Amino acid sequence: MSIGTVAERLQQARRGVGVSGRRPGTVRSRGDRTPLGRARGTLALFAIPSLLLLVLLNVFPVGYAIIQSVQDGTPSTLPTEAPFVGFANYVNVVTSAQFLHAALFTLAFTICGVFGSWIIGMAFALLLRTRIPANAAFKVLLLLPWIVPVVVSATAWNWLVATPQSPLPVALSAIGVTNANFLGDPVLAQIVVIIFKVWISFPFMMMMMSSALASVDLNVYEAAKIDGATQWQALTGVTLPIVSRTTYISWVLMTIFCVNDFPTIFLLTQGGPVNATTSLIVLAYQAAFQDQQTGPATAIAILMTVVLVIVSTVLYRQIKKVNIE
Amino acid sequence: MNQQSSFGPVPASISRRAVLGAGGAASLALLLAACSPGGGGSTASQPLKFWNMPWGPTSFLNEDKRIVAGYKPASGFGVAQYRQVQWANFTQTFATAVASNTGPAVSSGGGTQAFSFESEGKIAYADDLLAAWKKNGIYDDFLPGLVDSLKTKNGYAAVPYNLDVRLLWYNKALLESVGATPPTDWTSFEAVCKALKAKGIYGYGTYSGAGGATGQHTLVSHMINNGGGLFDADQNPNCVTPENIEAMDWVLGLVKNGYVDPRAASYTPANAYTQMNDKKFGMIWDSSGTPSQVDAATASDLVVADPLVGPSGKKGTLFFPNNIMMYKNAPSQAASEAFLTYYYQNMKSLWTKKTGIGLPPLKSIASAAFADDPNTTKIIDSWQPIGKTFGAPGQDTVFLNLAKADGTQPMFNFAQSILSGSTTAKDALAALQKALTSA
Repeated sequence: MSIGTVAERLQQARRGVGVSGRRPGTVRSRGDRTPLGRARGTLALFAIPSLLLLVLLNVFPVGYAIIQSVQDGTPSTLPTEAPFVGFANYVNVVTSAQFLHAALFTLAFTICGVFGSWIIGMAFALLLRTRIPANAAFKVLLLLPWIVPVVVSATAWNWLVATPQSPLPVALSAIGVTNANFLGDPVLAQIVVIIFKVWISFPFMMMMMSSALASVDLNVYEAAKIDGATQWQALTGVTLPIVSRTTYISWVLMTIFCVNDFPTIFLLTQGGPVNATTSLIVLAYQAAFQDQQTGPATAIAILMTVVLVIVSTVLYRQIKKVNIE
Repeated sequence: MNQQSSFGPVPASISRRAVLGAGGAASLALLLAACSPGGGGSTASQPLKFWNMPWGPTSFLNEDKRIVAGYKPASGFGVAQYRQVQWANFTQTFATAVASNTGPAVSSGGGTQAFSFESEGKIAYADDLLAAWKKNGIYDDFLPGLVDSLKTKNGYAAVPYNLDVRLLWYNKALLESVGATPPTDWTSFEAVCKALKAKGIYGYGTYSGAGGATGQHTLVSHMINNGGGLFDADQNPNCVTPENIEAMDWVLGLVKNGYVDPRAASYTPANAYTQMNDKKFGMIWDSSGTPSQVDAATASDLVVADPLVGPSGKKGTLFFPNNIMMYKNAPSQAASEAFLTYYYQNMKSLWTKKTGIGLPPLKSIASAAFADDPNTTKIIDSWQPIGKTFGAPGQDTVFLNLAKADGTQPMFNFAQSILSGSTTAKDALAALQKALTSA
């Protein structure tokens, strides 16, 4: 094969012709056995151990969970031992008042968690874009809620609000609001748990939006300014559309984080008082490890997975739409 | 130019096919190992697996391991292998191990664990062991009523190991500061609460938030104190009884009168002990280990109260006979029994060295370890004998159905609704009955 000049190679590349001389996608003849072609079978064999591991680690647990969800089992019974009950677990779960309550709380927790953390994260990302002293130090400090282990955060928040001698009740009583029962009152407990979630999540949003904002060309703001746009118009008409792809991705991720968030709730309230802060994942835990009923527990988990897949798909379509536009 | 591996060139004698073959063989071996059942074909000389729980801090683990390491098996029996299982998800740990026949030969665990595995045919009954212990003196050394609390219709599912009792502590200094004398019955308890309230102190200290099952235990202990409880003679939930309603009405009255911290429903154990240290709780319903949870100054003021006399003239409280069980999947039952006999003859140091484990099941250990501790002596002498299991009033034993109640969400909901005063006694008990029946 002739080597050819650089110009010829560039021409080939522009026409979409590979180094070997064929266009990508053209059918290889039976006798056309390149070294890569001969190695394909070997490469496939090399992939088998990894594929086996993938099946064992991902496909097997999901399949096992699906089987458990249609059986009346306990954590100590094997699928071969537990009786088959069809979709009874799903029907029982979906028609129970506990599930409905947990689903509604999960919805509120997720909506507030996603948009609350996004608004605060975006605000800090915009603030950190301006020239302020000790910018890097602020960034590190703002990341702390995300970095600190949730066990430590939950303990700190408990200390902050739990007893009458805690700092927040003391501060409130100084301005005349006495007997605030933050974790004992069902509504207040829900609010505290949601605020706690927003607090530990906004640094993630801040990082996501900071990276998106860093790629925005500052000239577009100059152009908008020349066109007479106000700061609010620049934000809503320029910044948000430009970072919308990252925004949707962060929403997808945070939705998954919120729906699957077990430690935030469990460490702070354990789902109480009187189930007020029980989310679907906490309900699934209670069913599996307190009630010893793996059927309803896995049914809840699979329903959650289905909902998450639907929500993620809708948001990903939105991302695709943004890309096309 | 050919790229060379930084670990040196691959010898020419090893072909790609050989590497693939080796990889495939390794994968197959791993797969077969993962799928093959373990533990089959046990013989008595194989090592005996003993799994124990963290009943105390590191000092407990060290001492327990030392005791087990000292076991010199008789000829034909294997040595004992020690493993500590953490409380986090311990049910899952045991369940999966036992289901796959890779579990222990002997273990402690949750209070109802033995009964769960007994119902699945996994437990080796302790009848022969107890018969042997009648000859060597261990059986007669058990505190009264303990051994039989672990009896099922088929045999003894386990043997008592350490005890947990719900009881009342009071802060001597705080009671003296308000001129109150220690309570002896429900009426005098209310009087002490009233006196403490005048100084902004809660008389009824408890906690039922994250990690705090003691609040629900305490409510059950009041029911037992009044001749009630949660289960009938057939081991089924029977919550809505006159005794239980009266007991819960009494607690709701305490809540209404402001003797119970309105935040107690959501308090963690740490919150409650902070309230003790801050002199906001004058008394607390808790376990024998309370002094170790509060600061030294508060601990020195804590005194165990007498068991309260209920309105029906009865005494009673809730106790938990934590236990040790033997499994059928073991090198041999004789080996398990030989090990347990050694362990019970040598476990005294777990208490004499104050490793943090609950109350001892043997009288000889209680007298050796707590002769100079008036509070623990009072618990063993006054509270343990009136203790009943969660199975009261129908049963004096532990049984499988108790797992539906102890530490479960319906019990948390029940306790939180009572302690927040947001319900009536009858409604709360009816909701609990419904939840326990459907569980």
